Amino acid sequence: MSDRRPPAPETDLSVRLGPVELAHPLVDASGTLDVLEYARRYDGDYLADFPYAAYVPKTVTADPRTGNPPPRVTETPSGVINAIGLENPGVHAWIAQLGEWAALRAPVLVSVGGNSPEQYAAVISALEAHLAAAPPGTVPDVRGYELNVSCPNVVGGLQIGADPTATAEVVGACRAATARFLLTKLTPNVRDVTEAGAAALGAGADGLSLVNTFKAMVLDRDTLRPFLGNRTGGLCGPAIKPIALRMVAEVARAFPDTPLVGMGGVMTGLDALEFIACGATAVAVGAANFTSFEAPQRILAELRDEVAARGFGTVGEARGIALRA
Amino acid sequence: MSGSGQTHDDHRQWAETSHCRVSAARHLGGFAVLELIAPRIARRAAPGQFVMVTVPGEGYLLRRPISLFSAEADCIALLVEARGRGSERLTRLEVGDVVDVAGPLGSAFPTQGVTNALLVGGGIGCAPLQYLADELAAAGAHVTAALGFRDFRAARAVGAFTIERLSVATEDGSVGRAGTVLHLLAALDVAPGTTVYACGPTPMIAAVQRWTFHEGLRGYVSLEAHMACGTGSCHGCVVDTARGKLRVCSEGPVFRLDEVTP
Repeated sequence: MSDRRPPAPETDLSVRLGPVELAHPLVDASGTLDVLEYARRYDGDYLADFPYAAYVPKTVTADPRTGNPPPRVTETPSGVINAIGLENPGVHAWIAQLGEWAALRAPVLVSVGGNSPEQYAAVISALEAHLAAAPPGTVPDVRGYELNVSCPNVVGGLQIGADPTATAEVVGACRAATARFLLTKLTPNVRDVTEAGAAALGAGADGLSLVNTFKAMVLDRDTLRPFLGNRTGGLCGPAIKPIALRMVAEVARAFPDTPLVGMGGVMTGLDALEFIACGATAVAVGAANFTSFEAPQRILAELRDEVAARGFGTVGEARGIALRA
Repeated sequence: MSGSGQTHDDHRQWAETSHCRVSAARHLGGFAVLELIAPRIARRAAPGQFVMVTVPGEGYLLRRPISLFSAEADCIALLVEARGRGSERLTRLEVGDVVDVAGPLGSAFPTQGVTNALLVGGGIGCAPLQYLADELAAAGAHVTAALGFRDFRAARAVGAFTIERLSVATEDGSVGRAGTVLHLLAALDVAPGTTVYACGPTPMIAAVQRWTFHEGLRGYVSLEAHMACGTGSCHGCVVDTARGKLRVCSEGPVFRLDEVTP
């Protein structure tokens, strides 16, 4: 449905995120797109037409969570603030629904949350047991996990990601529970983002994704009281992009050969290319999913044009350009 | 929709974006009635459903959820109130402008089998009631509407409505009866079995809910909420209900009046 001209087909946008082959660098940021909800609101076969190169679902936890009191979301200057609070049905109900989107054509990186190493590992163990016993065609193509140790809107989430020791404990417990690709999603709400990154990699993570949202606050303009039911929330969108780029560059410089998923306010193909130039292997699109159903197709077409216009034969040639001396 | 067996099962939702030309724009004080050429949306829509509208120009990120004021043939109409920066920009749209619109989205008002309907609206919450009145009247139902507004300025929106049996109240007494919709309801002779449809500010919903229970009636309510995606993904628009936290964009915006907790 993009209004743009068809992209130049000769530009190779494929990337390898660790062991996961991606047709192009774009994935969705966890919690911003639900394939089943879109499938219900689409005339075609959304599971076949899924525009991202991999699907990162909304974070799942061991037990059901009802999330934070409303209001939970509002717009800010060049941004969006949210405090959903990891609302989800819990891993067992979540597993029971897997058959409904088993036909999704993209590899899946499951976002996992919790309050303790045991809770994170319990989610992974439950899913691994199900995947091992599931007949072919009854489950989606789960290739790995993204450990969400960085949600600013739940008790425990941010604290784990801000504490390298606690981060290592969670990653270590999850590493013991799966042989699949393991990403750890870092919080930007720290003095040095590479510290938790080093802890995660040291404990067995295969790659890192960053950044999660910035802990922030917005006031009701009439009452001057906190607007969100949770009082504080996480800020995303274009407002955070320059900080996210700096942090991705710091992590890429510190861990040069590590698979990285960069994110933070990607609205255009050029934004995505900037994250790749800062060292990202793949790029997650978050708030832009709220702006239109067609945002991923548009951003992908723009990325292809940006790569071709610069004379790169592959998108990988752009990786790390911003890190050069 | 899953879990909402009491509302329309047959309504359709559609997330793709339509580029819609403004074919008519009527400005009523701080309100605007915008008619958009949107054949694919109009053909799928049902009363109570909403659309997500992209605010034109730089500096707006999230789309605005706006309920359908009418849908007929190839056109939809929206009644927009200038409340914040984004909605104020929408009220300034002119004929010939093109806006991006996604929808229809959300649940619809159940209308099947309804012979007597009482429509109760407050402020911009009146918006979905015109479309509902049109459909109910076309199906042969007896439709009465009671609309309440804050003051003379807000009551300018009344000019957009063409419901035959319509009474109006303003809190400052400048238009219609002085008071709230509750004063209008008290003056009505309501037939037993009348279905109540309500949309408006939270205190009004609570009052209408109490009145409806007291009268031994049933009904439906359309709620509003701050939304990010409008399509069920982000869980940003939940409200507390007797069925737990439900999304206004997906299980709603139309709920049973007896299941919401305003």
